Order: sequence, then C-alpha cells, then structure tokens
Amino acid sequence: MKNFSSQTKREFLKRMAATISAGMVMGLPKITLAAGETIKIGFLAPLTGPVAAWGKPGLDGCQIWAERINAAGGIQINGESHPVEFIGYDNEYDPTKARAGASKLVIEDGVKFVMMLGGDTWPGAQPVADRTGMLFSTLLPSDLGPDTSTLIAPAEVHPIYNVTGVQWLAENYPDLKSAVICAQDDALGIPSVATYLAAFEAAGIANEDPILFDAATTDFAPIVSRMISLNTDIICLDTCYTEFVHPLVEQLFQQGYDGTVISCTADFYQQMIEKTSVEFMEGFIFQFPDFDDPALEQDFINFEDPGGFFAEYNNRHPGEWGAVSWEYASIMDLWKWAAEKANSIEPGDVLASMLESGKGEHAFGTADWWGSDLFGIDQALVGNWPVVAINDGKARIQEYKWIPGWYEEHGEILKKYFTEYNIMWDQR
Amino acid sequence: MSKPQPLILLSFLLLAVVLIVLPHGLSYSQREILVFLTINILVVSSYRLLTLTGEWSLGHIVMMGVGAYGSALYTKELGVPVPISMILGALTAGIIAWGLSFPLFRMKGFYFLIGSFAAGEIIRLLWKRFRDPFGGPKGIKRIDPFPDIDFGFVRIDFFDPVNYYYFALIIVILCLVILWRIEKSMIGLTFHAVHWQDKLAESTGVNVRAYRTLALVISATFAGLAGTLLAHYIGTVNPNVFDIEQMVFVLTWAIVGGTTTIYGPIIGCIILTALNEIVLREIGLEQGRPLVYGLILIASVLFMPKGLEDVVKKVIELMKQHVFRGRIKDV
Repeated sequence: MKNFSSQTKREFLKRMAATISAGMVMGLPKITLAAGETIKIGFLAPLTGPVAAWGKPGLDGCQIWAERINAAGGIQINGESHPVEFIGYDNEYDPTKARAGASKLVIEDGVKFVMMLGGDTWPGAQPVADRTGMLFSTLLPSDLGPDTSTLIAPAEVHPIYNVTGVQWLAENYPDLKSAVICAQDDALGIPSVATYLAAFEAAGIANEDPILFDAATTDFAPIVSRMISLNTDIICLDTCYTEFVHPLVEQLFQQGYDGTVISCTADFYQQMIEKTSVEFMEGFIFQFPDFDDPALEQDFINFEDPGGFFAEYNNRHPGEWGAVSWEYASIMDLWKWAAEKANSIEPGDVLASMLESGKGEHAFGTADWWGSDLFGIDQALVGNWPVVAINDGKARIQEYKWIPGWYEEHGEILKKYFTEYNIMWDQR
Repeated sequence: MSKPQPLILLSFLLLAVVLIVLPHGLSYSQREILVFLTINILVVSSYRLLTLTGEWSLGHIVMMGVGAYGSALYTKELGVPVPISMILGALTAGIIAWGLSFPLFRMKGFYFLIGSFAAGEIIRLLWKRFRDPFGGPKGIKRIDPFPDIDFGFVRIDFFDPVNYYYFALIIVILCLVILWRIEKSMIGLTFHAVHWQDKLAESTGVNVRAYRTLALVISATFAGLAGTLLAHYIGTVNPNVFDIEQMVFVLTWAIVGGTTTIYGPIIGCIILTALNEIVLREIGLEQGRPLVYGLILIASVLFMPKGLEDVVKKVIELMKQHVFRGRIKDV
C-alpha cells in the first residue's frame, strides 16, 4: 500500500532527521509518537516473480489485519490509540532491490518494523538493519546468526517444522519405510532437504539420495519419472516453490504414482485438485492449514478469529489462500503485543519486550525463543506446528506437534545434516 | 570539427554538472537505484563492445558474476584488500572469458548465442554445486565493503549511496573512455570489419578469431569490474543475481537503446531502469513489469528498429540545422 497523501511539515522534518542520521551512519533517532499518529510497518517481500506466492498473499493478509485492528481501536501506546498502516515494497527476491527497499522503508517512510520473507534478500537488507538498528523479521530462520541481533523469526521456523509432518506420518503409517526428496537447489530448498533427511532418518525411514533441480527448470516429467523409478513409499516435495509443486503433482498424477506424498506447502491446493482428482490428492500431507479449520478454535491458539480472517481473505482474494496469508499477520499480533507491553514502538524496546521472558505468543500457542544451537542466536519462536492432510478435497489439521520435543530427541541428527549441507550458522 | 567543439564542451560540462548534482535531487532509495543504474551502464556498455564483432552473448551477466565472486573470494578467503581484489576480480572474468573463447568461437551467430548461454549456465551451476568456496545456492555473504577513506577533516563512508555513486561513476566514466578509445582505434575498426566483412578481413590477413576473442575478453573484464562494484556495495552475491532473467534485461537495454553508438545502450538502460524502478513502482504497477517490458521490446523492434539512439541522432541533426543553420557539417 502506498501512501500518496501530502506530507505534513512534521513528517518532512522527521524524514529529514532520519535521512541525515542514516547519512551520518548512526542509529535512527527516537521520535515521540503524536496522539493518534499512524504507525507504519514495512513489508519487504517478493510481490512479483516466481517467489511472489510467499510475499503477496502475506501483504493481502496484513491489510485485513490492519483493518480489523484499526476498527478495534488500533494499537495502544501510553494510553493513546494509533492506527496501523502497511507500506509494501516489491524486492523481487533480489538482494539489490532488498537494499533499496529497506532504505526506502526505514529512512524515507519511517516505518517502525520491517517484515521480510528473507532468504536471498536478507543479506541485501542486513547492512541497513545493522546501521539503523531497525527491527526486521524473516520467515526463514536460516537467515539468523550471532550477528543478526535485530532480526527475529517469530512465525515460521522454516524448515524445522517439516519434521512434524514426517513424525506424524511415521506414527500413523508405520509401514512406510523409504522416501525420496526433490527440491530446487537454492537457499529455500537446501535447508529443507537437510531437515527432511533428518526427519526421515529419525523416523526410521530410509532416504534415497535427494534429487536437486535448478530453479530455472520448466519440465518436471523427467524428475518425477526418476523419483517414481526409485520405488519408494514416500515422495517428498520439500519446500519447492508453488510454481514447482503444481507441475510436480500433475506429473505424479499423470505418471500414475499411487504412494504417499508429503510437501512443505500446498498453496492453492484446490487448483491441484482440479488438475488431478480428489482421490489422488487424498492424504496429501503438508504444513499449512486453512484457517476455517475447527482445530484452530482452541484456547491455546493466539490468532484472533481465524475463521473470520479466512472468510474475509477468501472473499477478497478467492482461491489465493496460501502458506503465508496468515503468517505476516500473526507476526503483527506478536509485535502489537510486545509494543503495547513496552508502551513503545521503538525497535529496540519492542525487541526487548518480545524476548523478555524467553517465551512468546505464537499463532499456534505459547512458544520458546530458541535457536542458538542451529542459528547461533535465540531469536526463532518455536513451539507447536500443525500437520495438515487433504481429506475429501479439504485441508484439515491432523494433529499439533511440539517441535522442541522432537529436537530434544533428534537434534543431533538434524545438526549432522545441517553440517553436511554447510548451513550451520558457523559454516555460513 | 573545429566549430562544434564549444557545443560539445558545453554539452559535456552540462552533463558533468547533472551527474554531480543528480543524487542530491533524489530520495535515499532512489540514490540506491542510481548506484545500481551506474553499475548497469558499465555492464551494458561492455556488452556492446562484444556486439561490435557481430556476436551476441547470453553469458555476459555471468561474466559480471565471475568478477563479483572472484573479488568477494579474494577478499574473504585470501585477505586481499578490496581495491586490489576488485582489479583481480575483473581480470579473473577476462581470463575465464579467454578460456571459454576456445570452445565458443568454434561457433558463430545463433550457435554462439546458445553456446554462450550454456557456458554461462555451467559456471552458475559450479557456483551452486561447490558450496566450498562459492557458498552454493545461498552464495557468499558478508563481503567486505569498499573501505572508508579518512582524510582527517572528512571521512568518506561508502555505505552512503551518494559516496558510492560518485566512486562508481568515476570508475564507469574511466571504463567508458577506455571502451570508446578501443572502438575508435584500429582494434575497434577491425571489430567492425570482423562483423560486416569477416571473410574479406580474413583474406587481408586479419585473424578474425583472435579479434573476436579480444572483444570477448575485454567485454568480460569490464563486466567483471561491474560485478565487483556490485558485490562490495550490497555485500552479497548468489547465483540467481546473475541468471538468464538478468541477462534478458541487459539484452533489452541494448536492443531498445541501439548498439551502433556508445550512448545507445546507455540510454536504453537509463530509460528502462527509470521506468521499472520509479514509474512502475510509483503507480503500483510492479506486477505488470513483464508485460510492459514485452510491449516496449515489441514496439521498439516495430517502430524503432535502430533503437532510441536513432531518435537522439535525429534530435542532434535537427539541432545542427536550427541552431547552426546548417553550417556545421558533422558533430
């Protein structure tokens, strides 16, 4: 959302102050929030291109979140109500655009928090975060490191939560004994491959060598043929981009695969059902629920009115509900909670407020700030994660699994694979 | 040539003033884009040098990447100071291009185009496959920035886009002068001969293949230098930054701008970057980028087959006729 309104003198002075301070390479100044002043939040993610499915739906979800919060009185800071507004910037999943976008949002627009998808784009934005002290969030905790003190991963602990799907599969279908993984060979695919390999090994399921393909691949028939020829009980689609998952599933259908399929995401799964069949997609396992799921109507869920949110989202963007539609909004729930607790929107105050007790209110229940083992810093919020399966053409949560519990038992296996793929924080 | 000299000098003076003042009229993020634009001007200008020999490559952006990766690794792994690593990175791109010239110049025209694409993809795959030292798909992060310069009374911090813009501008102008001098030298004339009359040139004793190789190596070296400028500014490189999609942008800049003059691709680069990064963003049409680029490319081929440079030539011609009443024969 772009703000085209003419700027006031106050806004101009604030912008100048911020620009000068950034130019002098200093942290951003603390500026007192005027009564009723709008709080601006930056949204720096791919809104176009092949990764847009993990950016654009998130911004759409945030607009709904902002309207709901503003209608309910906004964010309460020092007894004053403040409306919230999102300012988006399309980084095209390119680090150079991410740097320009971070500069625009932080220095020109005066946002108080920036949400990112992360991955390839975080290193571009990181110098801006370092210089200004701005609080950023990522969906990919593999961006975290001991030197990313102003970066948090509060919604999605990708790809660690993928272990829950495999764990559930092994518990419910003990006859499944072998698996093959395919993934695009990039910063999103590889950490996920390492995680699935660990999860399968921990579950006693034998792994074939993962099949990695280039992100420019357009013909998935040979990849699927190769996977089917391995005769494994499970085919794992890893964290393939949405535009890869769909043709992979189509190929599995066309080539007559009748085994179990597990994937990190199944964005726009209704389209996949239309291209295959309800019967073929039955039992397809992934990790992202529809928010009209009855299993989200439980006391420990921290997302306000998930059913209403889901209905409104589908009303505005029919058929576009995906993995990230709710995630950025849930990050905002956490940010709002921390800012109101701190009575401040300053990045440092909000971060301190979030981390204070070592626990945070995640959408799927209270979770732990965790991660020093894998990421070198305890700034990933880890707790419950749902295992979702398609039943009769509809995604339904099968069970919540406690990720720290799995890690306590099998953490060494995960570290082994992270090390093998050179993605431990001290190898990056 | 004696009469128009004051006009040319005035034009250059005006251009210099514009280039110096320009960043101060832009917002902070637009200054960032200005830095990338300046670097891209070197990429597309160096690409043009290769097109002088009649060959169009799809691996040029990967040569930029070779420079970026090379400089990053020399700095990170060997501790080479950034300014020296930038030169070494550029030279590495030239050496790699020289190596690739042996298989590539067994081909011509369309086959060379496809061959260059394949060669570029092989290099990109090597970056992805060999996590040590290239970092795999995630690439290399935390690349040292260009060091600050402290004069005592003033400190130049190259994190600031204005400072880096001036630094990049000086480098790019120097490179453009060198490229221009090459084109105007006997070597450049031979490049043209290789393009238009390769058999005739060969019959007169010109080693066509050697000149094609020379053009490839020079263009790759300057592209590599552009890559080093990028790497030490954003602090990260990964294989996707140098993929075919980026190469299509370079091609589009060159085609829309035209390649018969040194300023043609530069105009294409400036106008399309401004359209992409400022106009489309401001009016919220980022998602229409592929459509807009496609339309521009089609319109350019249909209505301006000689590129935007042809428009500039016509404007100069008009100026000659009106301002100097036809007294000036040639500018």
